[in-house]
Amino acid sequence: MVPFSHSLLVAALLFGMGLFCLLTRRNLIMMLLGIEVMLNAGALAFVAASLHWQQMDGQAMVLFILTVAATEVSVGLALIVALYRRTGSVDPDPPADRQLAAQAGEGGV
Amino acid sequence: MVLDWLLGMIVLLVKLGLILGALLFGAAYLVWAERKFLARLQIRLGPNRAGKFGLLQPIADAMKMLTKEDLVPDGADTFVFKLAPVVVAVTAMLMFAVVPVAPDLVLFGRSIPMVIADLNVGLLFIFALSSLGVYGVALGGWASNSKFALLGGIRGAAQMISYELALGLSLVPVVMLAGSMSLTEIVAAQERVPFIILQPISFAIFVISAMAESKRIPFDLPEAENELGAGFHTEYSGMRFGLFFIGEYVHIQVLGALTAVFFLGGWRGPLLPPVIWLVLKIIFVALIMIWIRGTLPRLRYDQLMALGWKVLIPAALVNIVLTGVLILLV
Amino acid sequence: MTVYSLLFYLLSLLTLAATAMAVTRRHMVHAVLYLVLSFFGTALLFYLLGAPLLAALEVIIYAGAIMVLFLFIIMMIRVEKEDDRFFPFLQWWPALLISGGFLAGLLALSREDLVRQPGMTVAQALPQVFGIHLFRDHWLAIEIASLLLLIALVGVLHLSRRRRADAIEEAP
Repeated sequence: MVPFSHSLLVAALLFGMGLFCLLTRRNLIMMLLGIEVMLNAGALAFVAASLHWQQMDGQAMVLFILTVAATEVSVGLALIVALYRRTGSVDPDPPADRQLAAQAGEGGV
Repeated sequence: MVLDWLLGMIVLLVKLGLILGALLFGAAYLVWAERKFLARLQIRLGPNRAGKFGLLQPIADAMKMLTKEDLVPDGADTFVFKLAPVVVAVTAMLMFAVVPVAPDLVLFGRSIPMVIADLNVGLLFIFALSSLGVYGVALGGWASNSKFALLGGIRGAAQMISYELALGLSLVPVVMLAGSMSLTEIVAAQERVPFIILQPISFAIFVISAMAESKRIPFDLPEAENELGAGFHTEYSGMRFGLFFIGEYVHIQVLGALTAVFFLGGWRGPLLPPVIWLVLKIIFVALIMIWIRGTLPRLRYDQLMALGWKVLIPAALVNIVLTGVLILLV
Repeated sequence: MTVYSLLFYLLSLLTLAATAMAVTRRHMVHAVLYLVLSFFGTALLFYLLGAPLLAALEVIIYAGAIMVLFLFIIMMIRVEKEDDRFFPFLQWWPALLISGGFLAGLLALSREDLVRQPGMTVAQALPQVFGIHLFRDHWLAIEIASLLLLIALVGVLHLSRRRRADAIEEAP
């Protein structure tokens, strides 16, 4: 059977990817996706810990993570839609900063 | 040890083959039955040229679909466009994996469970698959790069998500009574009384939301032909369209089987062998669904949402509380 | 290596690869699809790690509800391609630094026994047992979770209602 640390490693890698997505993307929807990935990584670590110590509290925690993820997404997406209706974009920066960033990022992705 | 493993593998493959074959055959002849029955309801004859009573019609249809040109519209997202019908068909077929078709069979001193996988979370497995089925509709509509298809896809996704809640809540009392989420044990719990007698409200909510899940008249807003062309599958042709079609009819059979398992006592019944009883119950539910299709007009979109959110879900919640109180008292 | 651990590593690889694809896609619908695959992989990992109930819930809630909601919004406001810009390359380093530093910290914490560590014993939490545990030892947390859901419901209702008033004002 798999050692505990290996499942933690998988969770850590997932969390790192989510963090990276949150920090590099300039698009609120993708940033929210990054947060989801991070929450999911936390859930994986909890399930693994639950098996490691043979206690079900870890699994109970995952249920609450799922609840938090669901509420967070529904409120977050409602906010994004409200913002989109108001400004016509899903960019987290104010328009002036956006232009600056576009100039600085010539040749960037 | 190895022999046991090999035998188990062979038995599993045989079961898979039999059930898949039966489902596809059933889907083909369900189309025939629907066309025939619907025609009689409308005082027409229905297909009657290919073979006696048009019995060869499904084969002719399959030939037509396989040989037709398979078109991918301009500007479509090719990969997603090709993925969507597969998702619809595969999720519908996989749902049957947890349905018990008969009691355990004893063969050469070995007990063989007559179900592909008896999961202890079988009921949630079905919900997981049916929630994945939403992707087929939403993505098919989106990837076609057509506004009718997109509208149909969005409608379909909203409708399926809304009614999945009611579907799930209507089954909570069944799980409370059976004390398990395994479909085998739910059938076992109905040894004396089928749950339709104990839970008539649940049964009604389940059947209505199951029909909404299968997107058929009176709930066929995702493909409302007089406003949206053909809805999410407007742009599909040939066998890809055929896959959507197969998905729909396999889904009807699965819903019939689930209605049988949750409320009508599964394979239980007097005299006839268990498998026959299950098939009879599936056919019965399917015919009722066709009958409803031939009788009722389509709902308006706001009526659809109001029915789901303002009638079915509150009723299901009240039903759960009532069932809980009764279980505590009795 | 047993079948069990082989499955674990395969599924981990699938999950990680799908997530990596998801966070780097420019096309948001593709990102959502890869993420669905990733959540599917995570659900199978949950099953492997002895949580069948959570595995089913993960697919139902994450893949079946949350990701569909994302897809819905992306389809509705039609921002699949436009506005999807990364940070300029020059500004990537803080992100890489933070994610990398975080990873390094985690690895340092568990490095001592990454290679030779006893495997975990296989176990499975039966849904019945898990349910009883949940409602006996964590009932307060369940109530709080349900309150949270209610608050989110009211909040979203409020947000979308105000939005409708805006739409009427902005209509030409």
